[in-house]
Amino acid sequence: MFDVSSFRRQFAFFHHHPDWVYLDNAATMQKPDAVTEAVSRFYQQDNSNVHRGAHQLSQQATAQFEQARQTIAHYIKAQYVHEVIFTSGATAGLNQLAFGLMHTVLKPGDRILLTQLEHHANIVPWQLHCQRYGVIIDVVPLTADRQLDLNAYQQLLALKPKLVSFSHISNVLGHIQPVQQMVALAKAAGAITVVDGAQGVVYQQPDMRQLDCDFYVFSGHKLYGPTGVGVLYGKTQWLEQLTPLCGGGEMIDSVSFVNTTFNNLPFRLEAGTPNIAGVIGLAAAINWLQQYNNKLIIEHKSLLLNAFFQGARQIKGVAILSMPVHNAGIVALNVDGEHPSDVADILNQQQVAVRAGQHCAMPLFDYLALNGAVRVAFAAYNTLDDVNQCLLALEQAVEILTA
Amino acid sequence: MNLEQLLADTDIALQAIQQQALPDIKQAKDWQTKYRILMQLGKQLPPLPEKMKQQELLVKGCESRAWLLHYHDKKRDKHFFVLDSDARIVKGLMAIMLCLVNGMNSSELAKFNLSQQFDELNLKPYLSQSRGNGLTAMAAHIKACSSAT
Ligand SMILES: Cc1ncc(COP(=O)(O)O)c(C=O)c1O
Repeated sequence: MFDVSSFRRQFAFFHHHPDWVYLDNAATMQKPDAVTEAVSRFYQQDNSNVHRGAHQLSQQATAQFEQARQTIAHYIKAQYVHEVIFTSGATAGLNQLAFGLMHTVLKPGDRILLTQLEHHANIVPWQLHCQRYGVIIDVVPLTADRQLDLNAYQQLLALKPKLVSFSHISNVLGHIQPVQQMVALAKAAGAITVVDGAQGVVYQQPDMRQLDCDFYVFSGHKLYGPTGVGVLYGKTQWLEQLTPLCGGGEMIDSVSFVNTTFNNLPFRLEAGTPNIAGVIGLAAAINWLQQYNNKLIIEHKSLLLNAFFQGARQIKGVAILSMPVHNAGIVALNVDGEHPSDVADILNQQQVAVRAGQHCAMPLFDYLALNGAVRVAFAAYNTLDDVNQCLLALEQAVEILTA
Repeated sequence: MNLEQLLADTDIALQAIQQQALPDIKQAKDWQTKYRILMQLGKQLPPLPEKMKQQELLVKGCESRAWLLHYHDKKRDKHFFVLDSDARIVKGLMAIMLCLVNGMNSSELAKFNLSQQFDELNLKPYLSQSRGNGLTAMAAHIKACSSAT
Protein backbone atom coordinates (compact mmCIF):
# COMPACT_ATOMS: atom_id res chain seq x y z
CA MET A 1 0.00 0.00 0.00
CA PHE A 2 1.14 3.52 -0.77
CA ASP A 3 1.37 5.50 2.44
CA VAL A 4 0.23 8.92 1.38
CA SER A 5 0.56 10.57 4.76
CA SER A 6 4.22 9.69 5.16
CA PHE A 7 4.81 10.72 1.54
CA ARG A 8 3.09 14.04 2.10
CA ARG A 9 4.99 14.76 5.29
CA GLN A 10 8.13 15.18 3.22
CA PHE A 11 6.82 18.38 1.68
CA ALA A 12 7.45 21.41 3.86
CA PHE A 13 5.00 23.35 1.71
CA PHE A 14 2.07 21.53 3.29
CA HIS A 15 3.24 22.41 6.80
CA HIS A 16 3.18 26.03 5.76
CA HIS A 17 -0.21 25.77 4.09
CA PRO A 18 -2.23 23.34 6.14
CA ASP A 19 -5.49 24.92 5.00
CA TRP A 20 -4.88 24.77 1.30
CA VAL A 21 -5.90 22.03 -1.09
CA TYR A 22 -3.29 22.17 -3.82
CA LEU A 23 -4.63 20.76 -7.08
CA ASP A 24 -2.67 22.82 -9.58
CA ASN A 25 -0.10 20.08 -10.01
CA ALA A 26 -0.09 20.12 -13.79
CA ALA A 27 1.24 23.69 -13.58
CA THR A 28 3.97 22.85 -11.11
CA MET A 29 4.50 20.37 -8.32
CA GLN A 30 5.54 20.91 -4.73
CA LYS A 31 9.10 19.95 -3.79
CA PRO A 32 10.08 17.32 -1.25
CA ASP A 33 12.62 18.26 1.42
CA ALA A 34 15.15 16.02 -0.31
CA VAL A 35 15.15 18.45 -3.23
CA THR A 36 15.20 21.74 -1.34
CA GLU A 37 17.93 20.38 0.90
CA ALA A 38 20.05 19.26 -2.06
CA VAL A 39 19.74 22.70 -3.64
CA SER A 40 20.65 24.57 -0.49
CA ARG A 41 23.42 22.12 0.35
CA PHE A 42 24.95 22.83 -3.05
CA TYR A 43 24.87 26.58 -2.50
CA GLN A 44 26.05 26.36 1.09
CA GLN A 45 28.76 23.75 0.73
CA ASP A 46 29.68 23.01 -2.85
CA ASN A 47 29.13 26.10 -4.95
CA SER A 48 31.64 26.60 -7.79
CA ASN A 49 31.32 26.95 -11.50
CA VAL A 50 31.49 23.76 -13.54
CA HIS A 51 33.79 22.60 -16.31
CA ARG A 52 36.16 25.51 -16.02
CA GLY A 53 37.98 26.03 -12.75
CA ALA A 54 41.47 24.71 -12.33
CA HIS A 55 40.76 24.28 -8.66
CA GLN A 56 39.50 21.31 -6.79
CA LEU A 57 36.25 22.96 -5.74
CA SER A 58 35.23 23.40 -9.35
CA GLN A 59 36.21 19.84 -10.07
CA GLN A 60 33.97 18.65 -7.24
CA ALA A 61 31.05 20.73 -8.45
CA THR A 62 31.61 19.41 -11.96
CA ALA A 63 31.65 15.85 -10.70
CA GLN A 64 28.32 16.41 -8.92
CA PHE A 65 26.86 18.05 -11.99
CA GLU A 66 27.92 15.22 -14.27
CA GLN A 67 26.78 12.66 -11.73
CA ALA A 68 23.35 14.29 -11.97
CA ARG A 69 23.43 13.85 -15.73
CA GLN A 70 24.15 10.17 -15.23
CA THR A 71 21.32 9.79 -12.75
CA ILE A 72 18.89 11.29 -15.22
CA ALA A 73 20.24 9.37 -18.22
CA HIS A 74 19.91 6.19 -16.22
CA TYR A 75 16.38 7.08 -15.10
CA ILE A 76 15.08 7.65 -18.60
CA LYS A 77 17.18 4.72 -19.91
CA ALA A 78 19.09 6.77 -22.45
CA GLN A 79 21.72 4.78 -24.29
CA TYR A 80 24.44 7.37 -23.69
CA VAL A 81 24.84 9.88 -20.89
CA HIS A 82 25.66 12.67 -23.36
CA GLU A 83 22.16 12.27 -24.81
CA VAL A 84 20.83 14.20 -21.81
CA ILE A 85 21.06 17.91 -22.60
CA PHE A 86 20.22 20.33 -19.82
CA THR A 87 17.87 23.17 -20.73
CA SER A 88 15.82 25.62 -18.74
CA GLY A 89 12.68 23.55 -19.30
CA ALA A 90 10.43 21.83 -21.81
CA THR A 91 9.77 25.10 -23.62
CA ALA A 92 13.48 25.73 -24.10
CA GLY A 93 13.98 22.16 -25.33
CA LEU A 94 11.29 22.51 -27.97
CA ASN A 95 12.66 25.87 -29.07
CA GLN A 96 16.09 24.33 -29.46
CA LEU A 97 14.60 21.57 -31.58
CA ALA A 98 12.57 23.82 -33.86
CA PHE A 99 15.50 26.17 -34.36
CA GLY A 100 18.10 23.45 -34.57
CA LEU A 101 16.41 21.24 -37.14
CA MET A 102 15.34 24.00 -39.48
CA HIS A 103 17.59 24.28 -42.47
CA THR A 104 19.81 21.34 -41.43
CA VAL A 105 17.05 18.73 -41.52
CA LEU A 106 13.83 20.52 -42.36
CA LYS A 107 13.82 22.11 -45.80
CA PRO A 108 11.32 24.35 -47.63
CA GLY A 109 8.29 22.36 -48.71
CA ASP A 110 8.77 19.71 -45.98
CA ARG A 111 5.86 18.90 -43.71
CA ILE A 112 5.75 18.39 -39.97
CA LEU A 113 2.88 16.94 -37.96
CA LEU A 114 1.53 18.27 -34.64
CA THR A 115 -1.76 17.56 -32.85
CA GLN A 116 -4.81 19.61 -31.95
CA LEU A 117 -4.20 19.34 -28.22
CA GLU A 118 -0.61 20.51 -27.96
CA HIS A 119 0.61 23.02 -25.41
CA HIS A 120 1.69 26.30 -27.01
CA ALA A 121 5.29 25.29 -26.25
CA ASN A 122 4.89 22.54 -28.84
CA ILE A 123 3.24 24.81 -31.40
CA VAL A 124 4.72 28.28 -31.35
CA PRO A 125 8.44 27.38 -31.72
CA TRP A 126 7.60 25.29 -34.80
CA GLN A 127 5.41 28.02 -36.19
CA LEU A 128 8.07 30.68 -35.70
CA HIS A 129 10.61 28.80 -37.77
CA CYS A 130 8.34 26.92 -40.17
CA GLN A 131 6.97 30.20 -41.49
CA ARG A 132 10.44 31.50 -42.19
CA TYR A 133 11.63 28.30 -43.83
CA GLY A 134 8.48 27.41 -45.75
CA VAL A 135 7.83 24.22 -43.79
CA ILE A 136 4.19 23.12 -43.69
CA ILE A 137 2.44 22.17 -40.42
CA ASP A 138 -0.33 19.55 -40.41
CA VAL A 139 -2.48 18.91 -37.35
CA VAL A 140 -3.93 15.61 -36.07
CA PRO A 141 -7.60 16.16 -35.10
CA LEU A 142 -9.49 14.65 -32.17
CA THR A 143 -12.32 12.16 -32.04
CA ALA A 144 -15.69 12.93 -30.47
CA ASP A 145 -14.45 11.78 -27.05
CA ARG A 146 -11.48 14.14 -27.33
CA GLN A 147 -8.88 11.45 -27.93
CA LEU A 148 -6.38 11.78 -30.75
CA ASP A 149 -7.85 10.44 -33.97
CA LEU A 150 -5.43 7.68 -34.86
CA ASN A 151 -7.00 7.01 -38.24
CA ALA A 152 -6.49 10.61 -39.22
CA TYR A 153 -2.97 10.36 -37.79
CA GLN A 154 -2.15 7.50 -40.15
CA GLN A 155 -3.62 9.36 -43.10
CA LEU A 156 -1.51 12.41 -42.27
CA LEU A 157 1.57 10.22 -41.93
CA ALA A 158 0.96 9.16 -45.51
CA LEU A 159 1.83 12.75 -46.48
CA LYS A 160 5.37 11.84 -45.36
CA PRO A 161 6.05 14.45 -42.70
CA LYS A 162 9.75 14.83 -41.89
CA LEU A 163 8.94 15.19 -38.21
CA VAL A 164 6.11 14.40 -35.81
CA SER A 165 5.83 16.11 -32.42
CA PHE A 166 3.15 15.33 -29.83
CA SER A 167 2.62 15.34 -26.10
CA HIS A 168 2.83 12.19 -24.04
CA ILE A 169 -0.04 13.39 -21.85
CA SER A 170 -2.42 16.25 -22.55
CA ASN A 171 -1.91 19.01 -19.99
CA VAL A 172 -5.58 19.99 -20.25
CA LEU A 173 -7.47 16.71 -20.42
CA GLY A 174 -4.97 14.37 -18.76
CA HIS A 175 -5.43 11.78 -21.49
CA ILE A 176 -2.45 9.49 -21.95
CA GLN A 177 -1.64 9.25 -25.64
CA PRO A 178 -0.70 5.90 -27.14
CA VAL A 179 2.85 7.18 -27.55
CA GLN A 180 4.45 3.81 -28.13
CA GLN A 181 2.17 3.12 -31.06
CA MET A 182 2.37 6.66 -32.38
CA VAL A 183 6.15 6.67 -32.36
CA ALA A 184 6.24 3.30 -34.12
CA LEU A 185 3.83 4.47 -36.82
CA ALA A 186 5.76 7.70 -37.34
CA LYS A 187 9.04 5.85 -37.61
CA ALA A 188 7.55 3.42 -40.11
CA ALA A 189 6.59 6.50 -42.14
CA GLY A 190 10.18 7.75 -41.91
CA ALA A 191 9.54 10.71 -39.60
CA ILE A 192 11.73 12.06 -36.80
CA THR A 193 9.78 11.70 -33.55
CA VAL A 194 9.57 14.30 -30.79
CA VAL A 195 7.66 13.61 -27.59
CA ASP A 196 6.72 16.48 -25.27
CA GLY A 197 7.00 14.70 -21.96
CA ALA A 198 6.29 17.69 -19.72
CA GLN A 199 3.31 15.86 -18.18
CA GLY A 200 4.31 12.34 -19.18
CA VAL A 201 7.48 12.18 -17.13
CA VAL A 202 5.47 12.68 -13.94
CA TYR A 203 3.14 9.83 -14.69
CA GLN A 204 5.69 7.18 -15.41
CA GLN A 205 9.39 6.66 -15.76
CA PRO A 206 9.99 7.26 -19.46
CA ASP A 207 11.99 4.49 -21.11
CA MET A 208 13.88 5.84 -24.09
CA ARG A 209 14.98 2.44 -25.31
CA GLN A 210 11.50 1.05 -25.31
CA LEU A 211 9.77 4.17 -26.59
CA ASP A 212 12.50 4.63 -29.19
CA CYS A 213 11.57 8.25 -29.98
CA ASP A 214 14.29 10.51 -31.36
CA PHE A 215 13.69 13.34 -28.88
CA TYR A 216 11.93 13.65 -25.53
CA VAL A 217 11.67 16.89 -23.56
CA PHE A 218 10.54 17.68 -20.03
CA SER A 219 10.78 20.25 -17.23
CA GLY A 220 12.20 19.59 -13.78
CA HIS A 221 9.58 21.57 -11.91
CA LYS A 222 6.74 19.24 -12.87
CA LEU A 223 8.73 16.29 -11.54
CA TYR A 224 9.23 17.49 -7.94
CA GLY A 225 12.36 19.34 -9.08
CA PRO A 226 13.39 23.00 -9.18
CA THR A 227 12.15 25.52 -11.72
CA GLY A 228 14.45 26.69 -14.47
CA VAL A 229 15.86 23.30 -15.34
CA GLY A 230 14.78 20.73 -17.87
CA VAL A 231 16.00 18.01 -20.14
CA LEU A 232 16.23 17.64 -23.87
CA TYR A 233 16.91 13.98 -24.57
CA GLY A 234 17.92 13.10 -28.11
CA LYS A 235 19.50 10.24 -29.92
CA THR A 236 23.13 11.01 -30.63
CA GLN A 237 22.74 11.00 -34.41
CA TRP A 238 20.02 13.64 -34.22
CA LEU A 239 21.54 15.77 -31.49
CA GLU A 240 24.60 16.07 -33.67
CA GLN A 241 22.53 17.59 -36.42
CA LEU A 242 21.04 20.32 -34.28
CA THR A 243 22.27 23.84 -34.82
CA PRO A 244 22.82 25.28 -31.32
CA LEU A 245 20.18 27.84 -30.43
CA CYS A 246 22.49 29.55 -27.98
CA GLY A 247 26.12 30.30 -28.56
CA GLY A 248 28.60 31.33 -25.92
CA GLY A 249 31.01 29.89 -23.45
CA GLU A 250 31.48 26.20 -22.81
CA MET A 251 29.86 25.03 -26.03
CA ILE A 252 32.76 25.81 -28.33
CA ASP A 253 35.92 24.04 -29.34
CA SER A 254 37.72 27.02 -30.81
CA VAL A 255 36.60 30.55 -31.60
CA SER A 256 38.03 33.05 -34.03
CA PHE A 257 36.30 35.76 -36.01
CA VAL A 258 36.72 33.60 -39.10
CA ASN A 259 35.23 30.45 -37.74
CA THR A 260 33.97 28.79 -34.60
CA THR A 261 34.03 25.06 -34.10
CA PHE A 262 31.84 23.42 -31.54
CA ASN A 263 32.53 21.25 -28.57
CA ASN A 264 31.22 17.68 -28.35
CA LEU A 265 27.86 16.59 -27.02
CA PRO A 266 26.39 17.39 -24.60
CA PHE A 267 28.32 20.64 -24.23
CA ARG A 268 27.75 22.01 -27.71
CA LEU A 269 24.08 22.45 -26.82
CA GLU A 270 24.66 23.90 -23.34
CA ALA A 271 26.03 27.42 -23.80
CA GLY A 272 26.86 29.46 -20.74
CA THR A 273 26.89 28.58 -17.08
CA PRO A 274 24.15 26.01 -16.58
CA ASN A 275 21.61 25.96 -13.77
CA ILE A 276 23.95 23.86 -11.63
CA ALA A 277 21.86 23.84 -8.47
CA GLY A 278 18.76 23.14 -10.56
CA VAL A 279 20.37 20.14 -12.20
CA ILE A 280 21.49 18.82 -8.83
CA GLY A 281 18.01 19.40 -7.45
CA LEU A 282 16.43 17.53 -10.33
CA ALA A 283 18.73 14.56 -9.84
CA ALA A 284 17.86 14.64 -6.13
CA ALA A 285 14.16 14.56 -7.06
CA ILE A 286 14.69 11.51 -9.24
CA ASN A 287 16.81 9.72 -6.64
CA TRP A 288 14.19 10.45 -4.03
CA LEU A 289 11.32 9.34 -6.24
CA GLN A 290 12.95 6.03 -7.03
CA GLN A 291 12.50 4.78 -3.50
CA TYR A 292 8.77 4.56 -4.25
CA ASN A 293 7.01 1.96 -6.31
CA ASN A 294 5.44 3.91 -9.12
CA LYS A 295 2.78 1.26 -9.65
CA LEU A 296 1.44 2.06 -6.18
CA ILE A 297 1.55 5.77 -6.90
CA ILE A 298 -0.42 5.25 -10.11
CA GLU A 299 -2.97 3.21 -8.19
CA HIS A 300 -3.25 5.90 -5.55
CA LYS A 301 -3.77 8.58 -8.17
CA SER A 302 -6.41 6.62 -9.98
CA LEU A 303 -8.20 6.11 -6.68
CA LEU A 304 -8.30 9.90 -6.28
CA LEU A 305 -9.33 10.38 -9.88
CA ASN A 306 -12.18 7.89 -9.66
CA ALA A 307 -13.44 9.36 -6.41
CA PHE A 308 -13.38 12.79 -8.00
CA PHE A 309 -15.19 11.65 -11.12
CA GLN A 310 -17.85 9.95 -9.04
CA GLY A 311 -18.42 12.99 -6.91
CA ALA A 312 -18.27 15.55 -9.71
CA ARG A 313 -20.81 13.64 -11.79
CA GLN A 314 -23.31 14.01 -8.94
CA ILE A 315 -23.07 17.79 -8.99
CA LYS A 316 -25.76 19.21 -11.22
CA GLY A 317 -24.43 21.58 -13.84
CA VAL A 318 -20.87 20.26 -13.87
CA ALA A 319 -19.71 19.20 -17.33
CA ILE A 320 -16.56 17.07 -17.40
CA LEU A 321 -14.38 17.23 -20.50
CA SER A 322 -11.83 14.58 -19.53
CA MET A 323 -12.33 10.86 -19.85
CA PRO A 324 -11.66 8.75 -16.74
CA VAL A 325 -9.85 6.00 -18.68
CA HIS A 326 -6.24 6.36 -19.78
CA ASN A 327 -6.10 9.46 -17.66
CA ALA A 328 -2.99 10.52 -15.75
CA GLY A 329 -4.91 12.34 -13.02
CA ILE A 330 -6.09 15.55 -14.65
CA VAL A 331 -9.74 16.60 -14.96
CA ALA A 332 -10.90 19.50 -17.09
CA LEU A 333 -14.42 20.63 -16.32
CA ASN A 334 -16.87 23.48 -16.56
CA VAL A 335 -19.99 24.61 -14.80
CA ASP A 336 -22.70 24.94 -17.45
CA GLY A 337 -23.05 28.47 -18.70
CA GLU A 338 -20.44 29.87 -16.33
CA HIS A 339 -17.01 31.22 -17.06
CA PRO A 340 -14.20 28.95 -15.77
CA SER A 341 -12.46 31.86 -14.10
CA ASP A 342 -15.57 32.49 -11.98
CA VAL A 343 -15.53 28.88 -10.85
CA ALA A 344 -11.82 28.94 -10.04
CA ASP A 345 -12.28 32.24 -8.25
CA ILE A 346 -14.83 30.73 -5.91
CA LEU A 347 -12.65 27.65 -5.37
CA ASN A 348 -9.80 30.02 -4.52
CA GLN A 349 -11.97 31.66 -1.86
CA GLN A 350 -12.26 28.21 -0.32
CA GLN A 351 -8.51 27.66 -0.55
CA VAL A 352 -8.69 25.12 -3.30
CA ALA A 353 -5.97 25.88 -5.85
CA VAL A 354 -6.84 24.97 -9.42
CA ARG A 355 -6.20 26.60 -12.73
CA ALA A 356 -8.76 28.14 -15.06
CA GLY A 357 -8.46 29.33 -18.61
CA GLN A 358 -7.10 27.83 -21.76
CA HIS A 359 -3.98 26.33 -20.20
CA CYS A 360 -1.69 27.38 -23.04
CA ALA A 361 -3.70 25.26 -25.43
CA MET A 362 -5.85 27.75 -27.34
CA PRO A 363 -6.14 25.58 -30.48
CA LEU A 364 -7.67 22.82 -28.36
CA PHE A 365 -10.29 25.17 -26.96
CA ASP A 366 -11.06 26.62 -30.38
CA TYR A 367 -11.63 23.07 -31.53
CA LEU A 368 -13.87 22.32 -28.56
CA ALA A 369 -15.64 25.66 -29.08
CA LEU A 370 -15.17 26.53 -25.40
CA ASN A 371 -13.65 29.63 -23.84
CA GLY A 372 -11.70 27.57 -21.33
CA ALA A 373 -12.02 25.09 -18.51
CA VAL A 374 -11.21 24.58 -14.87
CA ARG A 375 -8.38 22.09 -14.43
CA VAL A 376 -8.06 19.88 -11.37
CA ALA A 377 -4.75 18.00 -11.36
CA PHE A 378 -3.93 15.36 -8.76
CA ALA A 379 -0.49 14.39 -7.54
CA ALA A 380 0.76 11.54 -5.40
CA TYR A 381 0.69 13.69 -2.25
CA ASN A 382 -3.01 14.49 -2.60
CA THR A 383 -5.46 12.66 -0.39
CA LEU A 384 -9.09 11.60 -0.50
CA ASP A 385 -9.69 14.44 1.88
CA ASP A 386 -8.38 16.83 -0.79
CA VAL A 387 -10.79 15.27 -3.27
CA ASN A 388 -13.71 15.75 -0.91
CA GLN A 389 -12.82 19.32 -0.09
CA CYS A 390 -12.55 20.13 -3.75
CA LEU A 391 -15.93 18.56 -4.44
CA LEU A 392 -17.54 20.52 -1.61
CA ALA A 393 -15.97 23.72 -2.90
CA LEU A 394 -17.25 22.92 -6.37
CA GLU A 395 -20.77 22.40 -5.04
CA GLN A 396 -20.54 25.73 -3.29
CA ALA A 397 -19.38 27.36 -6.53
CA VAL A 398 -22.32 25.93 -8.44
CA GLU A 399 -24.67 27.09 -5.73
CA ILE A 400 -23.36 30.65 -5.70
CA LEU A 401 -23.16 30.92 -9.46
CA THR A 402 -26.60 29.58 -10.18
CA ALA A 403 -28.37 31.28 -7.28
CA MET B 1 -28.43 50.38 -29.05
CA ASN B 2 -26.42 53.47 -29.85
CA LEU B 3 -23.47 54.66 -27.88
CA GLU B 4 -25.28 57.56 -26.26
CA GLN B 5 -28.01 55.30 -24.94
CA LEU B 6 -25.48 52.78 -23.70
CA LEU B 7 -23.51 55.43 -21.84
CA ALA B 8 -26.65 56.85 -20.31
CA ASP B 9 -27.97 53.45 -19.21
CA THR B 10 -24.62 52.45 -17.77
CA ASP B 11 -24.38 55.75 -15.95
CA ILE B 12 -27.73 55.16 -14.27
CA ALA B 13 -26.81 51.58 -13.39
CA LEU B 14 -23.46 52.60 -11.92
CA GLN B 15 -25.08 55.29 -9.80
CA ALA B 16 -27.53 52.76 -8.45
CA ILE B 17 -24.68 50.39 -7.68
CA GLN B 18 -22.82 53.10 -5.84
CA GLN B 19 -25.81 53.87 -3.67
CA GLN B 20 -27.08 50.37 -2.97
CA ALA B 21 -24.38 47.80 -3.50
CA LEU B 22 -21.38 49.55 -1.97
CA PRO B 23 -22.79 49.68 1.55
CA ASP B 24 -23.92 46.06 1.25
CA ILE B 25 -20.47 44.93 0.13
CA LYS B 26 -18.84 46.81 2.96
CA GLN B 27 -21.09 45.17 5.51
CA ALA B 28 -20.98 41.68 4.04
CA LYS B 29 -19.78 39.43 6.82
CA ASP B 30 -18.50 36.54 4.74
CA TRP B 31 -17.11 36.04 1.29
CA GLN B 32 -20.18 34.13 0.16
CA THR B 33 -22.40 37.15 0.74
CA LYS B 34 -19.90 39.39 -0.99
CA TYR B 35 -19.79 37.07 -3.98
CA ARG B 36 -23.55 36.86 -4.20
CA ILE B 37 -23.69 40.65 -4.38
CA LEU B 38 -20.89 40.84 -6.93
CA MET B 39 -22.68 38.28 -9.05
CA GLN B 40 -25.81 40.40 -9.16
CA LEU B 41 -23.98 43.58 -10.14
CA GLY B 42 -23.07 42.36 -13.57
CA LYS B 43 -26.72 41.70 -14.33
CA GLN B 44 -27.65 45.31 -13.58
CA LEU B 45 -25.39 46.68 -16.28
CA PRO B 46 -26.39 46.80 -19.91
CA PRO B 47 -24.18 44.40 -21.86
CA LEU B 48 -21.83 45.72 -24.48
CA PRO B 49 -23.35 44.69 -27.83
CA GLU B 50 -21.34 41.98 -29.58
CA LYS B 51 -20.45 44.23 -32.48
CA MET B 52 -18.90 46.75 -30.12
CA LYS B 53 -16.64 44.18 -28.44
CA GLN B 54 -13.70 45.20 -30.51
CA GLN B 55 -10.10 44.34 -30.04
CA GLU B 56 -9.15 47.90 -29.04
CA LEU B 57 -11.52 47.75 -26.09
CA LEU B 58 -10.12 44.51 -24.69
CA VAL B 59 -8.17 44.99 -21.51
CA LYS B 60 -5.03 42.91 -21.76
CA GLY B 61 -3.96 40.83 -18.81
CA CYS B 62 -7.25 39.11 -18.04
CA GLU B 63 -7.78 35.36 -17.97
CA SER B 64 -11.32 36.15 -18.94
CA ARG B 65 -12.09 38.72 -21.58
CA ALA B 66 -12.99 42.19 -20.37
CA TRP B 67 -13.88 45.26 -22.36
CA LEU B 68 -13.72 48.86 -21.30
CA LEU B 69 -15.14 51.72 -23.29
CA HIS B 70 -14.25 55.22 -22.23
CA TYR B 71 -15.99 58.43 -23.18
CA HIS B 72 -14.79 61.89 -22.22
CA ASP B 73 -17.46 64.55 -22.35
CA LYS B 74 -15.10 67.42 -23.03
CA LYS B 75 -17.61 70.22 -22.68
CA ARG B 76 -18.40 69.26 -19.13
CA ASP B 77 -15.05 67.53 -18.52
CA LYS B 78 -16.64 64.33 -17.29
CA HIS B 79 -15.45 60.79 -17.85
CA PHE B 80 -17.89 57.96 -18.51
CA PHE B 81 -17.33 54.25 -18.98
CA VAL B 82 -19.04 51.16 -20.30
CA LEU B 83 -17.76 47.74 -19.31
CA ASP B 84 -18.33 44.10 -19.95
CA SER B 85 -16.65 40.82 -19.21
CA ASP B 86 -17.46 37.22 -19.91
CA ALA B 87 -16.64 36.37 -16.29
CA ARG B 88 -19.21 37.52 -13.78
CA ILE B 89 -16.98 38.12 -10.80
CA VAL B 90 -14.64 40.24 -12.86
CA LYS B 91 -17.61 42.14 -14.22
CA GLY B 92 -18.90 42.74 -10.70
CA LEU B 93 -15.53 44.00 -9.51
CA MET B 94 -15.20 46.20 -12.57
CA ALA B 95 -18.63 47.62 -11.84
CA ILE B 96 -17.50 48.52 -8.34
CA MET B 97 -14.37 50.09 -9.67
CA LEU B 98 -16.22 52.11 -12.27
CA CYS B 99 -19.04 53.25 -10.05
CA LEU B 100 -16.37 54.98 -8.00
CA VAL B 101 -14.93 56.93 -10.92
CA ASN B 102 -17.87 57.32 -13.24
CA GLY B 103 -18.58 60.98 -14.00
CA MET B 104 -15.33 62.26 -12.50
CA ASN B 105 -13.46 65.11 -14.13
CA SER B 106 -9.90 64.69 -15.37
CA SER B 107 -8.12 65.94 -12.29
CA GLU B 108 -10.31 63.89 -9.94
CA LEU B 109 -9.62 60.81 -12.03
CA ALA B 110 -5.88 61.45 -12.02
CA LYS B 111 -5.87 61.79 -8.24
CA PHE B 112 -8.18 58.87 -7.58
CA ASN B 113 -6.69 56.19 -5.33
CA LEU B 114 -8.36 52.98 -6.27
CA SER B 115 -6.45 50.72 -3.96
CA GLN B 116 -7.41 52.82 -0.95
CA GLN B 117 -11.06 52.68 -1.97
CA PHE B 118 -10.94 48.93 -2.42
CA ASP B 119 -9.32 48.64 0.95
CA GLU B 120 -12.22 50.51 2.53
CA LEU B 121 -14.62 48.12 0.87
CA ASN B 122 -12.64 45.13 2.13
CA LEU B 123 -11.99 44.18 -1.45
CA LYS B 124 -8.27 44.85 -1.47
CA PRO B 125 -7.23 41.21 -1.93
CA TYR B 126 -8.94 41.17 -5.33
CA LEU B 127 -6.80 44.00 -6.62
CA SER B 128 -3.52 42.46 -5.70
CA GLN B 129 -4.40 39.00 -6.96
CA SER B 130 -2.13 37.90 -9.78
CA ARG B 131 -2.68 39.20 -13.25
CA GLY B 132 -5.30 36.48 -13.52
CA ASN B 133 -8.33 38.64 -13.06
CA GLY B 134 -6.85 41.65 -14.79
CA LEU B 135 -8.16 44.18 -12.31
CA THR B 136 -4.80 45.78 -11.87
CA ALA B 137 -4.52 46.22 -15.61
CA MET B 138 -8.01 47.66 -15.59
CA ALA B 139 -7.15 50.12 -12.83
CA ALA B 140 -4.10 51.34 -14.71
CA HIS B 141 -6.20 51.67 -17.83
CA ILE B 142 -8.82 53.78 -16.07
CA LYS B 143 -6.26 56.15 -14.63
CA ALA B 144 -4.61 56.51 -18.00
CA CYS B 145 -7.98 57.74 -19.30
CA SER B 146 -7.56 60.93 -17.30
CA SER B 147 -4.92 62.12 -19.70
CA ALA B 148 -6.47 60.66 -22.84
CA THR B 149 -8.36 63.07 -25.02
C1 LIG C 1 2.36 19.39 -22.20
C2 LIG C 1 3.24 20.54 -21.84
N1 LIG C 1 4.23 20.92 -22.66
C3 LIG C 1 5.06 21.92 -22.38
C4 LIG C 1 4.94 22.64 -21.21
C5 LIG C 1 5.89 23.76 -20.94
O1 LIG C 1 6.62 23.54 -19.81
P1 LIG C 1 7.54 24.70 -19.18
O2 LIG C 1 6.66 25.89 -19.02
O3 LIG C 1 8.01 24.14 -17.90
O4 LIG C 1 8.65 24.94 -20.15
C6 LIG C 1 3.93 22.30 -20.32
C7 LIG C 1 3.76 23.07 -19.07
O5 LIG C 1 2.72 23.58 -18.75
C8 LIG C 1 3.06 21.23 -20.64
O6 LIG C 1 2.09 20.86 -19.79
